[in-house]
Amino acid sequence: MSGRNLWKLKPSGDLSEHTLAFWLLLPAALLLGLIVVYPVLKLLHDSLYSMSVFSAHAPQFIGLSNYADALSDPDVWRAIRFTLALCLVTVPGALLVGLGLALLSNRPWKWRWPVRLALLLPWALPLAFSGMIFAWFFNTEYGVVNDLLRRAGMAPISFLLIPQWGFFAICVATIWKSSSFVALILLAGLQTIPRSLYEAAELEGANAWQTFRHVTLPLLMPALAVALIFRTISALQSFDIPYAMTQGGPARYTETLSILVNTTAIEYMDVGYGSALAVLLFLLSMAVSSLYLRKLYRGAV
Amino acid sequence: MLKLPLRWIAAALLLINGFFPALWILLTSFKTEAELAQTPITWLPQHPSLDNYLLAFAEQPLLLFLANSFAVALLSTLLTLFAATGAAYALTRLQLRHRGLILTSLIAVAMFPPATLLVPLFEIMRGLGLINTYGALVLPYAVQSLPICTLVLASFFQQVPRDIEHAAMIDGCTRLQALTRIVLPLAAPGVFTAGILAFVNAWDEFLLALALNAAPGSRTLPVGILLYQGEFSFPWPVISAALVVAIVPLAIIIVLFQERVVSGLTAGGLKG
Repeated sequence: MSGRNLWKLKPSGDLSEHTLAFWLLLPAALLLGLIVVYPVLKLLHDSLYSMSVFSAHAPQFIGLSNYADALSDPDVWRAIRFTLALCLVTVPGALLVGLGLALLSNRPWKWRWPVRLALLLPWALPLAFSGMIFAWFFNTEYGVVNDLLRRAGMAPISFLLIPQWGFFAICVATIWKSSSFVALILLAGLQTIPRSLYEAAELEGANAWQTFRHVTLPLLMPALAVALIFRTISALQSFDIPYAMTQGGPARYTETLSILVNTTAIEYMDVGYGSALAVLLFLLSMAVSSLYLRKLYRGAV
Repeated sequence: MLKLPLRWIAAALLLINGFFPALWILLTSFKTEAELAQTPITWLPQHPSLDNYLLAFAEQPLLLFLANSFAVALLSTLLTLFAATGAAYALTRLQLRHRGLILTSLIAVAMFPPATLLVPLFEIMRGLGLINTYGALVLPYAVQSLPICTLVLASFFQQVPRDIEHAAMIDGCTRLQALTRIVLPLAAPGVFTAGILAFVNAWDEFLLALALNAAPGSRTLPVGILLYQGEFSFPWPVISAALVVAIVPLAIIIVLFQERVVSGLTAGGLKG
């Protein structure tokens, strides 16, 4: 029976809820199949082959050689180290800054919309634009950061040309960009905390820190956990901001795993090796998020 | 209650953090090239001019990038709303075996990191002849927004009383008509909220747009503007003007619909 005829049946007819549910879920399933499930299978398959657009040979099965190559490739280890360092700094950084922004925004402001807009604008700004804007901030000659340094009597710094400073600049841009999303999630969490608990704390004579430590923080934990997982997964995938600020330079020092995958597979067209790198990136993401999930669930039990 | 000076500092922190980067780009876009090449730099434009905007449209096909971004964002939003509406309705209202499993796998699968899918997606899109066409981006963007749109729509569908639906079906509506004629109009705010989130997601995406649609004619705004820069030069006057042009549509959306965006984000974020 074709789908067209199925639609026409009356509720008393043959169209069971199960059949309708099947048809309604079908578009989502087809999309996921084409854009995720099939590509993942293809990714795993390709990672076992030597296939490059530039080579004249047909793809050749080489087993786990691509993975072995990757694990002995200093470029890969440098990218892994840089990506993990970026996570270790920007995830806690964004959570702390986001928490601060959320607490400030949650004050009884007379005008709520400018406060809300101040969180929404950075959230809506494309990552790539944030990277470009911060690259301009950190520009050696014309950047606003070096202008402030000069005014303070210090020597300007070529932020984007010195590896360690490049890392610093990328961290600042990433924390700025992602803290607004964290703040929006935490703000929603803060607004679910009943007022009566704060009143009770006040009656008990708790000071501001004690109230925060024993009322706000425990009740904010679910929202913090959500923000933590979202942030970690996207930090491991960092691409837009480092690409827009340094293109992975100087001397590939600020190259993240995602940038390396893109360079290898898309720019150099080394599909087999690039696929193996993408699988490694996926395994890394899974390892980190399952670590978190286990911690969180253990905490909840 | 905070004391007055503290309140001012808190407000200043919030506003500077939120608005300074965009404001700085706006100020930069009104400065002349000569002024931008001065050190020490100026903070306010000395001779404000609109020349950079004219250059931004003249040097690169900025209008085309804008049209590409709009088309890709709009088409992927419609596609994701179509798929998410069906999924959310089936998951909230219909008898379904393995409801929890279907919902979890839908979310888990759609959250698969795009950077890891980049390589096979490139090959698949090339095989389908979709590289440098809207289709190459519309399909993945629709998938990226599928989880949040499904969650937002599901939470709105749950608020529509079942009795209204039953009454309509007693009057001779099919289940599908009950969805399209009764539930969807009542859940219109939810559809709208989900649509805004999907649109902003698509408007912002960069990695896939760079890898799949890099030809000059098919670039979206983030890719188009980033590639304004030459190998060694960064034409900031023009870029800042182009950035302002690209940010304005977003700014309009979030100013007009800020409450929807916030409620949608938290519905999707906290339940997801």
